[in-house]
Amino acid sequence: MALTLTCPVCGKRNGYEFRYGGEEKGPRPDEAGITPRSWCEYVHMNQCVAGIQKEWWCHKDGCGVWFTTHRDTTCNLEVDKPEAQS
Amino acid sequence: MAVEIKRQSPISFPGNPLKTELRGHWTVMQEYEAKGDAPRVIDLSHRIRWDLQDSDIARHRPGGVSIPDTPGRCVFENGVLINRMNRTQASIWHLSGEDLSIPDDPAFTDVTDATVFLALLGKEIFSITEKLTTLDFFDPLKEAPFLLQGPFSHVPCQMVILGNTPEKSAILFTCSRGYAQDMIAAVLEAGAEFELHPAGENAFSDWVNK
Repeated sequence: MALTLTCPVCGKRNGYEFRYGGEEKGPRPDEAGITPRSWCEYVHMNQCVAGIQKEWWCHKDGCGVWFTTHRDTTCNLEVDKPEAQS
Repeated sequence: MAVEIKRQSPISFPGNPLKTELRGHWTVMQEYEAKGDAPRVIDLSHRIRWDLQDSDIARHRPGGVSIPDTPGRCVFENGVLINRMNRTQASIWHLSGEDLSIPDDPAFTDVTDATVFLALLGKEIFSITEKLTTLDFFDPLKEAPFLLQGPFSHVPCQMVILGNTPEKSAILFTCSRGYAQDMIAAVLEAGAEFELHPAGENAFSDWVNK
């Protein structure tokens, strides 16, 4: 596994030091009036992008910080600032 | 009936110390047989350590010392080493050996009995550590003392580099108490070719006072 990730506190580290936290799905939906179906979709349904996706990671063996980063799922490599490239 | 309290270090070194002292219910190993300039490993598990967590961490001044602004930075003043871990957390290690009482604030937790605390001294310690971790102890952007958080012998550790020059090489590190005996076994095995040997608390105090 060649994945390295850049922790905002510790810098670039081996991917084995991190725990995957899922896709970035935006803010938690407002609970007022939410239906079981829409809540289920928020919690369980994923985009599963074949390409660059924004996702959550935790530096569990290091500083413990949760952060978001971008990863190209087709080659399992972290991508630097994809918004700036597009 | 009075209850006798005994606090036990999570590690034991091979061989017998030359001098011990009973202090604060701990049996402190003060001296081992000296072996020249060879690197030394020292058990400091009895030294008081606190964990501090607060969303407004800058409001605290443990021991009268300000907490560093940047994660990864450390400050050593008044015998207290403060390591900034992340946005909301810092660790506080009492290196002077003073038995300070913990501040009456729920942001502080005494973790002395939850972790093992070791020191590595000597100019060849980085040849030992490179066998056990990929952490970069010579990052030119960091000035000692600085904190690294990551796996050491596959165990998540907090490691503070007090000095990384040949004249002044020292590392302090902690990990969970349950890993202690395996951790010291790994360190001693990695250091065998460099004649790494146990030393007492006095060796560390001498190093700090220098």
